Amino acid sequence: MPKLTPQDLCFPNLNGAGDWGIQGYQKRGGYAGLKELLTTPQAVHIQKLKDSALRGRGGAGFPTGMKWSFMPQPTPEKPLSKPSYLVCNADEGEPGTCKDRDILRYDPHTLVEGMVVGCYVLNAKVGYIYVRGEYYDESSRLVQAIEEARKAGFVGKNILGTGVDVEIHVHLGAGAYICGEETALLESLEGKKGQPRLKPPFPAGFGLYGCPTTINNVETIAQVVPILKNPLEWWTRHGRPNNHGTKIFSISGSVNKPGNVEAPMSIPLRELIDDYCGGVIGGWENLQAVIPGGSSTPMLNAEQAGRVLMDFDALKAEGTGLGTAAVVVMNKQVDLLRVMTRISAFYKHESCGQCTPCREGVGWVYRLMERLSRGEGSLDELDQLQALTKKIEGRTICAFADGAMWPVQGTIKHFRGLFEERIRAGG
Amino acid sequence: MNAPAAQPSKPPASVPASVPEFPPAPEGMVNMLIDGAHIVVPKTFTVMKACQQAAIEIPHFCYHERLSVAGNCRMCLVEVVGAPKPVASCHWPVAEGMKVNTQSAITLEARKGTMELLLINHPLDCPICDQGGECDLQDQAVAYGTDRSHYGELKRAVDDKEIGSKIKTVMTRCIHCTRCVRFATEIAGVEEFGATGRGENMQVGTYVEQALQSELAGNMIDLCPVGALTSKPYAYTARPWELKRTSSVDVLDAIGAPIFIDTRAGKVMRVLPQENAAINEEWLTDTARFSYDALAANRLTTPLIQGKPASWPEAFAAVKKILANATGKFGVALGDLSSAEVAFSVQQFAKMLGAAQLAALPNGQATGLPFTLAMQLAEFDKAEAVLLLGCNPRREAPLLNVRLRRGVLKRGLKVYNVGAVADLTYAYTQLGDTAAALEKFQSEKVVQVIVGAQTLARADAAELLAAAAKLGTVHVLEASCGRITAQAVGAAQVAADEVVKAWKAGKLQALWLHGEDTLSTEEIQAGSGAIVYVGTHHTATAKLAEVCLPAATWAEEAGLFMNAEGRVQEAKAAAPAPLQAKEAWKIYRALSEELGHTFGWNTLGQLRTALGAAVPAFAPEMVGVCHPCEGRDLLPMAFVLGKFQRYQFPTEIPACAGMTKKKFTETVPQYYLRSSYLQQSDWMHKMQDEAGTAQIRKVA
Repeated sequence: MPKLTPQDLCFPNLNGAGDWGIQGYQKRGGYAGLKELLTTPQAVHIQKLKDSALRGRGGAGFPTGMKWSFMPQPTPEKPLSKPSYLVCNADEGEPGTCKDRDILRYDPHTLVEGMVVGCYVLNAKVGYIYVRGEYYDESSRLVQAIEEARKAGFVGKNILGTGVDVEIHVHLGAGAYICGEETALLESLEGKKGQPRLKPPFPAGFGLYGCPTTINNVETIAQVVPILKNPLEWWTRHGRPNNHGTKIFSISGSVNKPGNVEAPMSIPLRELIDDYCGGVIGGWENLQAVIPGGSSTPMLNAEQAGRVLMDFDALKAEGTGLGTAAVVVMNKQVDLLRVMTRISAFYKHESCGQCTPCREGVGWVYRLMERLSRGEGSLDELDQLQALTKKIEGRTICAFADGAMWPVQGTIKHFRGLFEERIRAGG
Repeated sequence: MNAPAAQPSKPPASVPASVPEFPPAPEGMVNMLIDGAHIVVPKTFTVMKACQQAAIEIPHFCYHERLSVAGNCRMCLVEVVGAPKPVASCHWPVAEGMKVNTQSAITLEARKGTMELLLINHPLDCPICDQGGECDLQDQAVAYGTDRSHYGELKRAVDDKEIGSKIKTVMTRCIHCTRCVRFATEIAGVEEFGATGRGENMQVGTYVEQALQSELAGNMIDLCPVGALTSKPYAYTARPWELKRTSSVDVLDAIGAPIFIDTRAGKVMRVLPQENAAINEEWLTDTARFSYDALAANRLTTPLIQGKPASWPEAFAAVKKILANATGKFGVALGDLSSAEVAFSVQQFAKMLGAAQLAALPNGQATGLPFTLAMQLAEFDKAEAVLLLGCNPRREAPLLNVRLRRGVLKRGLKVYNVGAVADLTYAYTQLGDTAAALEKFQSEKVVQVIVGAQTLARADAAELLAAAAKLGTVHVLEASCGRITAQAVGAAQVAADEVVKAWKAGKLQALWLHGEDTLSTEEIQAGSGAIVYVGTHHTATAKLAEVCLPAATWAEEAGLFMNAEGRVQEAKAAAPAPLQAKEAWKIYRALSEELGHTFGWNTLGQLRTALGAAVPAFAPEMVGVCHPCEGRDLLPMAFVLGKFQRYQFPTEIPACAGMTKKKFTETVPQYYLRSSYLQQSDWMHKMQDEAGTAQIRKVA
């Protein structure tokens, strides 16, 4: 695949080389055409988003156009009875994922403009950006960017004389991974304990303060603007059907040049690693496994990694997922079982404690992983571990428990032999 | 209630998908197939409710009918055909044509998995747990769990929380269902309980160690499905299977919540609420739940003459001597815990012997005022506006306050207060603390005016009632069922302090006090003559008596009580009276014979027949129901000689000097010690110490 030119990118300043401020952003074409976007009927935008097949960049890959179409649209006969809200999920906590961070610190105006357009399309007068508490510096930049945009008339009352009012508030989280789950985020934003809500009702009907709410990832919201500003083909020429566009991949681990890169969707994983990240340390033959989409997604073995395309559907076919597109590469020098144990420890620490299976089970899984990865335990316990993950997966209010179990299941699926070897060796 | 709504029909397994499987359901209903049986349920149902209607038990811990749905225990998971994973039936809405399998492999596996996980960190210390034998976790583990665990790691241990003298905590047993948290937040209205920490470190407790500041905290014990929260007074005293259960009534406030008194070998071991949607729903106040130690403390167990134990014949002889030639020259005062039988006996006794005065009203209260609510308790769930006139329902009737709170939170009920500012657990409009505030009051809604006992005891009570009647329907909230019952029987001719006035003025030769302890001992001592005290405890008043006759308490004597809504309920005798103490009605029956005016009854049945004939409200057919005569118009009522009459509010508000100026004060300053009976309870003293300060009184 040919490398993308700056004109192809949604985030031309992702590497932080240019000016993150409003002047730099405007130089790169930002806020141009905003007035036109704010005067085009909302239905047109939603249809274009549907046609673009933009899928949520936060992990689940839900079609954004469809999500936005769930929000109530006023008609002359039936005006909205409640305010609507757009909430941006910038609680980027998934291990391996750091793309939103670079958007916030190097190109925050992409998000600000996205919020303005998003609020307009969803009839929201107020948008909230829930930023992970650890991103304090990044949130400061975001607040500065909003203030710059306000001074320039892109945020606030009657934007560019279009009559559109959009106010954006930034809220810092307090360090809980679960607040990245959209309904836990809403609870946290409301000042309550961050615990996922029961669904139904879904946020589009009963969200923030009981009002219709759409929650989207930073990257999703930021990509809306270039999609709406450019011809459809600009976007759909990348990627396979239903997986169009470009995507930021956060590549870490055993590669020569880790970092965030914006690349076309459906790029072969091998090409992504070789062309964008300088290849696997020790060469492709030295590859052991790859986590394709953040710690929640089951890993790929080297053979799968050599053939898979990086998009939602191709990874699903391999039994894993694109997730947040945080690619964690592990070569043969990595103690894979200890890495996965550490990931289990993360989930044990971050379970909100609401549902029985997750509260009680994730710690149990971690303890089993801790022992078995050292070779302490029995082969029976390895089977038990596999059975245990099935008692937790799919039995809880939110998808956290699924995300905590999948990596363990993936490890057992691909690297059961490693466990067995160590158990036989007796730790 | 849980009977299947529709006849089960054959599972339409062979019907092709294109043909509708069910006949169209009626408006607002949906067809469902639960375990292959066809059922039609309302659209608004959850899967769990539908299953309950089909008489299928769904195990659960966190779900509770009267609390919000949390959906966190995951015990109620069931297979819904077509859903990718088992769903939590407690919140999952039903849908047309939904197929639910509660006995499929998916459902059973889900339950087993959840149960195993619930138990891995549970201590399984059932042999030393007070919940043992009546524990949801125990029962459901037997029914839905497996007989062994795969768990080989160390169990989690959690520090116990000290939350006051009501609830004992063993937090290691907690399964984090959050019922207690939701009860405190939603029903009791005290946001002092919550979960801190995350994941397996999540702990339920008061955020800062403190005594619970709710008068309904004990209900958390009933709600807790495991042994994490158990009753502190009951701790390690009995096992549920040893207890004998007796149906009774909480007579300590005006609501008259139905209760169970659990006894072992004739000793009261605990008090629990009965469920009655019309009265207490399923809650109980802490004074009713925890004051039972008063039944065994400081009791009069033998007749006393001048403080020295005597036999009953000796005591009767002494009484006879005192009452000789006292016709027209002795006063009778009845306390606040008497049943209708006792009040009737006392009334007949006073009449036969020609008592100068018969008192059963609290000090200062005028005769002939209404004494009940003008509608049933459950009807307050529909009230639009409530005006409190010198009334703090949180202290005077916490179970009515629960309904008002729900109204404020859920329906936009407006509450206005004329009286002392108090924390009622919900938002209300404070109009002022004098009756002058009534003049400014205006509301477009239908107003229910609740008048507290404090207001009735004021000199300007009739004027205030008349003023209140101009604003809306007047409801009177008396202090206890006993006060209401005595007035309904007609035993309340004057207030107790009227009798003392006559006594002090030397107009009386003898003073006959039946469980009446509200009189000032100094004033009593100011009179001359003999005092006879019939009662249950060695109170300060009893100590002044020439003769003390030991009587049974409300829990030891079968009796009828009328509550604030005019409902008559029976409190059955749960335990025998101690030693020489006798049921009060028997004492009066025996005395009547001794004094030569034998009553016409020899058994409780005969007494009730006579009572029912004299006072129709207490006729046998009235037990358990609200007085139906004249319907809603019945109340407020006054009672005159065996007949209910509507209280006639003066049409003109009579001018009363000072009516608008006298401030209402705090109505029940000491909730846990508001009556002499409660003051006998050690537990009540401890809880009163903790109330307000929230400081935990360390038990020595």
